Amino acid sequence: MVEGGGGRGEGGDKARDEFFSEAQELIDGLGRDLLGLDEALKKGEPEAELINDVFRAVHTLKGLSGLFGATRMAGLSHELEDVLDDLRLGRIELTSGVLDLLFQAVSLYGRLLSAETGAGSEPAQDVEQMLLALGQMSQRRRGGGAGVVSQYELDPGLLGVLTEYEEHRLRTNIQQGLNLYRIRVRFSLATIDSALDDLKAKARPHGEIITYLPTGSGADIDTIELEVLIASRATLEMLRTAIAGPNVAIEGVRRRSGPSAPPAVAATTPPPGEPRPATAESFASTPSVSLTGAPPARETSSFRAPEEGEEGRAGHAPSIVPVASGRSAGPGAAGPAAGKELSLRSVTQTVRVDIRKLDRLMTIVGELAIVRTAMANLTDRVRGRATDARELAIELARLSRTFERHLAQMQSGILEVRMVPLGQAFDKLARVVRQISREHGRDVNLVVTGAETEIDKLIVEELSDPLMHMIRNAIDHGIEPKDERLRVGKPPVGTIALNAFQKGNHVVIEVEDDGRGMDPRALLAAAVRRGVVTADESKDLTAREVLALVFMPGFTTKEVATDLSGRGVGLDVVRTNIGKLGGIVDIASDIGIGTKMTITLPITLAIINVLLVEIGARLFAVPLANVEEAIALDETQVRTIESREVLTVRGASLPICRLARLFGLAPAARERSRAFVVIAQVGNRRLGFVVDELVGQQDIVIKPLGKSLRTVRGFAGATELGDQRVALVIDVAALIEEVLMPGETRFLAAAEGGRA
Amino acid sequence: MSPLARPKSEKRAVRRAGEAGRRVEYLSFVLAGEMYAVQIAHVAEILRPPPITEVPRAPSTVLGVISVRGKLVTVVDLRRRFRLPEASFDRKTRVLLADVGTGEQIGLLVDEVQQVWRLAAQEIEQSNVLGGEQPAHIAGIGRPSGGAAILILLDLRPILEST
Repeated sequence: MVEGGGGRGEGGDKARDEFFSEAQELIDGLGRDLLGLDEALKKGEPEAELINDVFRAVHTLKGLSGLFGATRMAGLSHELEDVLDDLRLGRIELTSGVLDLLFQAVSLYGRLLSAETGAGSEPAQDVEQMLLALGQMSQRRRGGGAGVVSQYELDPGLLGVLTEYEEHRLRTNIQQGLNLYRIRVRFSLATIDSALDDLKAKARPHGEIITYLPTGSGADIDTIELEVLIASRATLEMLRTAIAGPNVAIEGVRRRSGPSAPPAVAATTPPPGEPRPATAESFASTPSVSLTGAPPARETSSFRAPEEGEEGRAGHAPSIVPVASGRSAGPGAAGPAAGKELSLRSVTQTVRVDIRKLDRLMTIVGELAIVRTAMANLTDRVRGRATDARELAIELARLSRTFERHLAQMQSGILEVRMVPLGQAFDKLARVVRQISREHGRDVNLVVTGAETEIDKLIVEELSDPLMHMIRNAIDHGIEPKDERLRVGKPPVGTIALNAFQKGNHVVIEVEDDGRGMDPRALLAAAVRRGVVTADESKDLTAREVLALVFMPGFTTKEVATDLSGRGVGLDVVRTNIGKLGGIVDIASDIGIGTKMTITLPITLAIINVLLVEIGARLFAVPLANVEEAIALDETQVRTIESREVLTVRGASLPICRLARLFGLAPAARERSRAFVVIAQVGNRRLGFVVDELVGQQDIVIKPLGKSLRTVRGFAGATELGDQRVALVIDVAALIEEVLMPGETRFLAAAEGGRA
Repeated sequence: MSPLARPKSEKRAVRRAGEAGRRVEYLSFVLAGEMYAVQIAHVAEILRPPPITEVPRAPSTVLGVISVRGKLVTVVDLRRRFRLPEASFDRKTRVLLADVGTGEQIGLLVDEVQQVWRLAAQEIEQSNVLGGEQPAHIAGIGRPSGGAAILILLDLRPILEST
């Protein structure tokens, strides 16, 4: 972020805004670190540095919230800080149960922050519960552990001078089955600083330096001998090769023979290299607060089929974010927040901007200023005397070109600033997956690819919640319980893949699970039972249309809600929200293999390039992002198949739609001998729009139609063309869906189509 | 939602004005030869009609959209809304930019804008003088003293909300 010089003090609003965005970033960062910890914990190597990061972030939050009078947040931070300090010092052990609590604290932070911005009320009761739980945890400090240290032949003098933190690290490393080595190394006093750093750097890849102390022996006046205690998985030989040097001597610290000291926490000390068993049970007695709410009995979604299915399991190069395992989060999981809708939306609309991007924009502004000066000069000249009009025209044209170029640069520069990586939304989702899978007792891996794909900040914000619903749906209804998975020969841990990639002017996001898939017959039966479609209509539906039924508003009804969940938000809302962003959702499913939902979205909402067309003497704009090509209509190539007009283009069939007819527009006064077909594509659906005339291309700023026209389908908004004329922008995705899937939209219209 | 269920802000305002002995300002306009008036506080602007872009599939009372300083505004034809015969635009035709605090400004197409009236409570008759149930958008009848003018006072809220 650009550090504003006069942030606080001048204008409390600005300072508060900065507080919100900084706190939001800290909270997001906390979530990421916790996921990292969770991952590390499963591998059995809790990373000390991550705990320190979390501790520091909470500490900063405490200061920040105190400064801005967010007392609840400060209070929460204070308790959290205590617990984290205990964790850091090993006074309490990091278990999945502890992590659950920390994750809950993070989402609580999120809700506190939105309460601060005035959205929603303060979750006072939940904070109280959380404080209680944190307090209890602090009291569960573990006394043991010293026992393991005494198994080693360590100098009591050395042990005596270890700080509490070092002692904890020593204990932890021993418990993890690492070997201890003692390195005696002699440094010249003149170069000790750099030489010590050098040694640390060499040792770091192989282990953790626990402490170093002067030995006080064997040193002459110019040298000093240090004893370095290092914990490592490496063998003595490997370490010797790594840290070899003239004044270096390495030896292993021997274990005392015999089981003199019983291993204090043997249960949590797996052999090295093996994954640590989930230790949620160890925290089962800690009351925990459920922050999302709905008890597992009520579930989100709209579809449920005993068996379901999927298609196309493309291979990805996944980065695996393993997410929780273990049973549900302990007693009291359904806290007072039960039923409350959790939103992943950030409370701030801030975009972090690389200062160099702003510099470039500033440069362009400078260039534009030059153009303005030149224009002013030209104006003066014209005013002053009669100039040759031709010469003037040439100069004006040149200026106009320059102006245009800089304007285009400016535009793309600003667009670039608006772009953020999708990872911003994905990070939060990983947290949700962990939480949901623990609530439901399902083991799920979230595999993310393409988190670096960039998209407009506004779209990212609007995407979080639909994606959360889709993932929740996949866990609720897709991924089978472990025993069922084993029975059908699947790996016990389910996988949800979140893939993002850019495709032309669009970003595609796939949410894919390897669960039981959807059974079209079961879906159809349910839809007929609930009156979403009639039995007659149901016969005409294609397999794809049947799957799309899960997006119908009527599909979440009471009959199913007992069997499944319902947060009051079904997949129909997902589709509506994605539709608002100009995108579409597709679904594919194979019974027994899994389900894949694909979202196709435009990269930006701000400025779009459109093709202006004339229909019935009126101008309409078609976003070029959706246009493949425009060709002259050859009426002899049009056939009617199943009451749908199809045009043969280069030997292939293309369904067409006469927009004048669809919009009920009277044809233009003069007789037209020709027409054009604008071939549009969204996702993998293509449709030709028949228009009277192609007018040209233009960059436009798209404006939404007013609330009063929200029920009108087929238009993404409108734009002013200059000279006060307004052209409607065609919502290609909506029209394609309407024309190609008439059954579906028929039902939508009946249920009051929600596309705004 | 039934428009009748909504609070009749206009009627309340009229009553309030009566109680306080204050006068309420109304802007009158002509529609198919009749004089109508709306509280001037609800009129943000009076515009000469800019080019209006028709919106296919919009409700029949919607004439189209216009751009007012870069903002899109839906224009409702009050003649159509009141089931009066259609008329063509002439030089007196105006668009009233109405704002009743619903978060959206709506343009109302009228034949001609006339004048501002300051009406006291005793100059306003309740709409029930017309007998029976009147549509929700009729707030009352204005009879400015010392003249033969009769104003049909409109409550804009039901009109704007049902568009």
